[in-house]
Amino acid sequence: MAVGYSRSISRKLTVMNMLVSAAALLLACAAFFAYDQITFRQSLVRTLSAQAQIIGANSISALIFNDPQSATNTLSALKSFPNIASAGIITSDQRPFAQYSRDAGDEVLNIPAPPDGRLEAYWFRATHLVLVHSIVFQGKTLGFVYLRADLHELDQRLKRYAAIAFVVLLLSLLAALIVSALFRRSVAEPIVQLAEVARAVSQDNNYSVRAAPTAAQDEIALLIDAFNNMLQQIQHRDNALQAAHDELEERVEERTRELVSSNRELEAFSYSVSHDLRGPLEVMNGFSYVLLKSYANQLDSSGKECLQSIRAAARRMSELIDDLLNLSRVTTSVMHREEIDLSSYARAIMEELCRTAPERNVEFVAPIEVKAYADARLVQIVMQNLLENAWKYTSHHDRARIEFGFEDKDGRMICFVKDDGSGFDPRSTDRLFQPFNRLHTSAEFPGNGIGLATVRRIIQRHGGEVWAEGAVEKGATFHFILEPNRGTEAGRPV
Amino acid sequence: MGRDLGARAISRYLVFLLFLSLFGAQTSHAQQTHPTESQVKAAYLYNFGKFVTWTGTNAGSSASFDICVLGKDPFGVVLDSTVAGGNIGEKRVTAKKISSLQESDHCRIVFISSSEQARLKAILAAAKAGGTLTVSDIPHFADKGGMIEFVPQENRIRFEVNLPATEEAGLTLSSELLKVATRVIGKTGN
Ligand SMILES: Nc1ncnc2c1ncn2[C@@H]1O[C@H](COP(=O)(O)OP(=O)(O)OP(=O)(O)O)[C@@H](O)[C@H]1O
Ligand SMILES: [Mg+2]
Repeated sequence: MAVGYSRSISRKLTVMNMLVSAAALLLACAAFFAYDQITFRQSLVRTLSAQAQIIGANSISALIFNDPQSATNTLSALKSFPNIASAGIITSDQRPFAQYSRDAGDEVLNIPAPPDGRLEAYWFRATHLVLVHSIVFQGKTLGFVYLRADLHELDQRLKRYAAIAFVVLLLSLLAALIVSALFRRSVAEPIVQLAEVARAVSQDNNYSVRAAPTAAQDEIALLIDAFNNMLQQIQHRDNALQAAHDELEERVEERTRELVSSNRELEAFSYSVSHDLRGPLEVMNGFSYVLLKSYANQLDSSGKECLQSIRAAARRMSELIDDLLNLSRVTTSVMHREEIDLSSYARAIMEELCRTAPERNVEFVAPIEVKAYADARLVQIVMQNLLENAWKYTSHHDRARIEFGFEDKDGRMICFVKDDGSGFDPRSTDRLFQPFNRLHTSAEFPGNGIGLATVRRIIQRHGGEVWAEGAVEKGATFHFILEPNRGTEAGRPV
Repeated sequence: MGRDLGARAISRYLVFLLFLSLFGAQTSHAQQTHPTESQVKAAYLYNFGKFVTWTGTNAGSSASFDICVLGKDPFGVVLDSTVAGGNIGEKRVTAKKISSLQESDHCRIVFISSSEQARLKAILAAAKAGGTLTVSDIPHFADKGGMIEFVPQENRIRFEVNLPATEEAGLTLSSELLKVATRVIGKTGN
C-alpha cells in the first residue's frame, strides 16, 4: 500500500516535470518555427526581388529593340537557382516576351501585372511564390518580369525542424526524468515517509512514532513539523486521559473496598444483633408457654388471649430474625457455581406448595429443562422466593396460572417467573427489592417483605440482574439473569 | 411625364452603347495592328540615343537632341510623332530633315537614306568628324564603315553594329545595345 503511494506520487512528479518541459519545448519550437517561416519567406521575397531587378535591368535593351532571344539568354542564367521553377518577361501590353522554365513542360502562368503605382507585387500560393517586378526604363514601363519560386525548401525546413524538435524533446524528457528522480528524494520521499507514519499511527494507534524531519525549509518540512506536533499533543492528551482513567479506576476500587468492608461490618452487626435477639425471645417464648400451660386455670379467657397474642408476636419476631439471619447468610456464604437445572427446582417447589393447599386451582407451566451455571443452594432460595410470591399473590383468585421460563437475549439467558395474580403498581417497582418494603398490607397478604431483597442479593452475587414488571390485578413478572455481564466478575460479595 | 423620362433614359443608354462600341473597336484595332517597318525604325532611332554616350566635339553644344534624316525621307510624319515630347538626358528630342551633314552639325543621330548611297563615303567622313551616330538600312552599311545598319530578319528589324567606326567618332555604345545587335563588327572575341 505504502509502496503504491510512493510510486503514485513520484510518478505524478515525473509526469508533471515531463509535461512541463515538453509543453515548454513544443511552444518554443512552434514560436521559433513560426519566426523562421516568416523570416524565411521575407528573405525569399527579397532574393526573388533582387533577381527580378537584375533580370529586368538586363532585359531593357531586349525589350526596346524587340530581341526575345537576348531576354531568353538573360533568363536562362536562372538555371543556377534551382528553387526558381519558372520565370518570364511580359511586355507592357501583356504579351509574353521571353520565358524560362526549370522543368520542361512547365506551364506558362497567366501573370497579372502589379497593381497600379507599384513596382513590384508577390503572391504566396500553396506550393509557390510568384513575384512580378516592373521593368522601368527612363520613367517608362517597358514590361514585367515574373519569377515563380518553389516552396519545397519550406517543407524541407519544416521536416528538419520536426526532426530536431523530436530529438531535443527526447533529450529534454530524459533530462526531466533525471531531474525528477533527483527531486523525488527531496519532495516525494518525505511525503511518503509522512504517509507511512500516518498509516502506522492510524493502524496501530501508536502515537509515539515521529516523522523524520527534513533538512529543507519548505512546506513539506512545515507539514512534517506540524504533523509531529500534532502527534505530540495527541500523545500528551492520551497520557493525561490514561492517567485520569487509572486514577478513576483506583478511586472506584478504593470506594468498592470501603463499601465492601462497611457492608461486611453491617452484615456482621445485623447477624450478631439477630443472634443476640434470639436469646431473650426464646426466654419470652418459653416463659409465656409455661405461663399458659401451668397457670391456665388461674387465667381468665382474656388473660389467655393476651398471652396467646404475646406468643404469636414472639413467633413472628423469631421468623423475622430467621429471615434477617438468612439474608445475611446469603451475602456472606461462599459461592460455588455448578451446572443446575432450574426447571426441576421450580417443579419441586410448586409440588410442595400445592400440597399445602390442594384445594387451589393453579396451573403451572415450565420447560423440561433450564440449564444454568450457578450456586445451587442460593438459586434454590431465589426460586423458592419468586414462586412462593407468585403462589401467594394469586391466592385471591379462583384460578391462577404460574409460569417459569426463559428467553435468550443477546446471548444471555433471561429467566422469568410470571403470574396472573393481584400484581402491583408499576410506579413502585424499585421499592419491591428493598428489605421490609411491602406493597401489600399483612391483612391482604401476610409476609415480611424480605424475600425479594434476598433474591436481589443472590442475583447480585452472581453478577446478574433482576427486575420486575407488573400492573394492579394484571399479574406480575420477575426477570432475572444469573450469568455475569461481560467484564463483571462473578461471585463478588456486595 | 414618366414616359418622357423613360424614353430619355433609353436614348441616353443607346448613345452610351454606340460610344462604347466605337471606342472599343478603335482600341482593339490599335492593339492588334503590328507597327509598320518605318515605325519600328523610327522607334529604334530614338532609342539608340539612350544607349550611346557622345564624347565628340559637338556633344552638348546644341540645346536639343537632333535626330536627322539625310536624303529622301522614308518616315514621313512617323519619326516626328515618335520623338514628339521625348527627352534624352536633359534635352528635348527633335527630328530634322537635312540634305547634307554640313547643313547642320548638331545632329546626334543621322539616318542616311538609301538615296544617299552614292555619297556615302563623304557623309561617313563628315559624321565621324562631327561625332554623329550614323544609321542606315543601306545593305552592307556597317561593313562599309557605317555605325548601325538595320537588317531585316524573320519579319523583324534587327541591327548590326560597327564598333570601331563608333569608337573612331568618339561614341561609346552601351553593352546593352551590343547585346541585342545581330552582329557586332570589331568586337573583341567575336
Ligand atoms: N408475585 C407478586 N404479585 C404481586 N405483588 C408481589 C409479588 N411478589 C412480591 N410482591 C410485592 O412485593 C412485596 C415484597 O415481596 P417480598 O417477597 O419481599 O415480601 P413478602 O412476600 O411480602 O414477605 P416474605 O418476606 O414472606 O416473602 C410484597 O409485599 C408484595 O407487595
Ligand atoms: Mg415473599
